[in-house]
Amino acid sequence: MSGCGDPCDKCEQLMQPYLDRVLDEAERAEAESHLEACGYCAKRFRFEEQLRQFVRSACCEEMRPELGAKLASLRTSA
Amino acid sequence: MSEMARDSEPRRLATDVRDRIRFEEEALALSDQVYRVARRMVSSRDEAEDLMQETYARAFRSWRSYSPGTNLRAWLLRILTNLNIDRGRRKQRAPDTQPLEEGDYYLYNRLEAASRDGNADEDRIVERLSQDDIVGALSAVPHDFRDVIVLVDIGDFTYQDAAQILDIPIGTVMSRLHRGRRILKQELAERAVGGVT
Repeated sequence: MSGCGDPCDKCEQLMQPYLDRVLDEAERAEAESHLEACGYCAKRFRFEEQLRQFVRSACCEEMRPELGAKLASLRTSA
Repeated sequence: MSEMARDSEPRRLATDVRDRIRFEEEALALSDQVYRVARRMVSSRDEAEDLMQETYARAFRSWRSYSPGTNLRAWLLRILTNLNIDRGRRKQRAPDTQPLEEGDYYLYNRLEAASRDGNADEDRIVERLSQDDIVGALSAVPHDFRDVIVLVDIGDFTYQDAAQILDIPIGTVMSRLHRGRRILKQELAERAVGGVT
């Protein structure tokens, strides 16, 4: 366990908001300067980014055409 | 005057029909995207298909309550989410009763530790996870957390949209997303590497 002043702890906390692009400018700069200097965090950030893309593509199940037809038949204007 | 009123009535009806047709076409054009989210909110394809049909039937009935120009995909998912809750398919759980999850680096650290012997390329470590691992892990995440992950990470909605769709404060979206992703990673680690050693 690292102490509370560990910059990697801080970087870990910033990872999700960083990838969600919701950090303010100062926090983003803090995360980026740490990432440039720290291979440990940089690898984990890259992994997390790839993981998100993988989750998105792995969980993407296409709708069956039969369902599309059923939905269209629910229209009330026709 | 009365003649004008008589004249405008058919015109009003014609506009109404045109608006309705346009609404229906736009809603149907989004059905693939709505389905992708719906499918991960329930556990089977059959359930997702039922839910989609109920959602579209309701949307077509209440099309007038949609304000043109606003986010139609979010509007449809709001209906879908409410129907999903109404049908009692989910048991609401208090997020506080969930076990404490591991940190954000947990999954990487576990995968890395497991691949030391194989001398794996660290940038390809994500490839140790299979599609089944991911789908299984996501469905093991409790509903409250999973819905937020599905909306934001798969549906590509903003925090604000997700908050409106689920009718919860934006701060709750953020905290559920944060904890939900950690739970997801714990589930993934269990599937890919096995239980905690």
